[in-house]
Amino acid sequence: MARTKIVLAGEGGQGVQSIAKILVEAGYEANKEVLYIPNFGVEQRGGVSIAFCQIADERIGEPRYSKGDIVIMLSDRAIDRCETYVDKNSTVVYDTSVCTKKPTCECKEIIGIDANKIANEQLSARVFNIIILGVLLEATHVLELSDIKNAMELALGKKFDAKPELRELNYKALEMGMSLVAQKAGV
Amino acid sequence: MVNKLIKEDIKMFLTGNEVLAYAANSAEAEFMYGYPITPQNEIMHTWCKLLPKTEAGFLQTEDEISAGFSTIGGILAGKRAFTATAGPGNVIMQDAQSMAEMMRIPFVCAVMQRGGPSTATVIYAQQETRLTCYGGNGEGFRIVYSTAGHQDLYDYMIKAFNTAWKYKFPTYVLADGYQGKMREPVMLYDPASRGITMVPTEKALLADGEIGVDRKSIHMRNTYNMEEELMEVLDSYQVDYDKMAEEVAEWEEYKADDAEILVIAHGIVARSARTAIDELREKGIKAGLYRPITIRPLAVKPLREAVSRAKHILFTESANGQLAQMVLEKIYGLTTPYSTLFKMGVGVTGDDIVQKVENIVKEGV
Repeated sequence: MARTKIVLAGEGGQGVQSIAKILVEAGYEANKEVLYIPNFGVEQRGGVSIAFCQIADERIGEPRYSKGDIVIMLSDRAIDRCETYVDKNSTVVYDTSVCTKKPTCECKEIIGIDANKIANEQLSARVFNIIILGVLLEATHVLELSDIKNAMELALGKKFDAKPELRELNYKALEMGMSLVAQKAGV
Repeated sequence: MVNKLIKEDIKMFLTGNEVLAYAANSAEAEFMYGYPITPQNEIMHTWCKLLPKTEAGFLQTEDEISAGFSTIGGILAGKRAFTATAGPGNVIMQDAQSMAEMMRIPFVCAVMQRGGPSTATVIYAQQETRLTCYGGNGEGFRIVYSTAGHQDLYDYMIKAFNTAWKYKFPTYVLADGYQGKMREPVMLYDPASRGITMVPTEKALLADGEIGVDRKSIHMRNTYNMEEELMEVLDSYQVDYDKMAEEVAEWEEYKADDAEILVIAHGIVARSARTAIDELREKGIKAGLYRPITIRPLAVKPLREAVSRAKHILFTESANGQLAQMVLEKIYGLTTPYSTLFKMGVGVTGDDIVQKVENIVKEGV
């Protein structure tokens, strides 16, 4: 049975849960079986925020899993908390422009991306998480770009209609994220 | 009467808290009393968001003590009222829950367990199992459904109202923060379309007719003068409870018929056990699941039969054996050996169970 297990972790406020919601909504709309658990502490800002997402072809059993196929770490604390979700079959993605260290866990592949830097310098700090969504899309290959765009319309459509340039900005961020992984995979 | 929103089958992609609000509406609930505590807040958020359409009622009280007693007040006033809580909120609501036991109030409460003791985590646990079944100063005259996902939440929330109003014992949907916060697809339906008739809401204190002419006065007590007077009442409750238990006790087995290793788990952990059992069966290990759905009362006969058939039992919980304690009492006398996999306040994954069972097999069943 094809099942993709994703662990998405960062600091509270980085938008981890927002993109997890878009991701699973896209999966649901694409008629996949999906399950998403948000995991965070009592803080409104800060603290490690983790999203456990599953996208599958058949009904999903366990809501929580031990190891992720893709584990995304967007801060030093996220690296500390989430190495436990990594094994030899996991692909680990971390942000070199946020983290001051590199994950040291044994895994299939470690991909370093500088999404935060790119967001700040080339796009907007507000679409940092959308770049990560693009990274996820390219790294998992379980959903189509059009699925994600549809789900973004559901989540952000009203904002897009009010300011159409936001739609373009978000699309650019998505594509940027996808290309970051594609480049690394080609190396 | 409130307006019911779900008139035909509709598949939705919701959080469990949202599911519970819709389910309460489908069960014709008229009023919710509550106080915010994570991870159950979105039950009342959703309930309130739907109010313009449902024309139901809501009151946010000053704390859970008040939420519990207000729920009782609403029911006494003739409304189909309910509440929801979690963690420390569940602790301080026990006074009202005991009163509901004593006065046989059809009190419905959704409990979304979080880590404990005390504030602990806002995320998840199965550590309110004992509290929800036996909390308060009393004997646990309660019915507790332990759910394992969103379809269960919808089905059993509807059922909880019928059980409570039929038998007049406090009735709980016991879930957890994972189920409250997680999103997965669920089929919502009108209970009538599944042949479910809702037990009507009776007026308790404000019944129709003139007292002494049309009907007797209604005297609901939670205070007694004499010891024997109290015991007489509680003995009669016990008789009612035992009779009711045979009718409401529910359980589920998965590949348990020929299971050599029987996993006993409830709620969302039972769902992880299913994943583990499929994997173990592929590896040639005969594992199966026994999942009590009503953890109070337990279905004793099928439980004892399943345990008798197995060579080894594995109890697993996101608590330190709260269900296991209750089960062990009911399987007294049976000699099937058992192991435990308890993770206090932490989710149990399929992998956890697979590894544990493989170790049991290695050591020789």
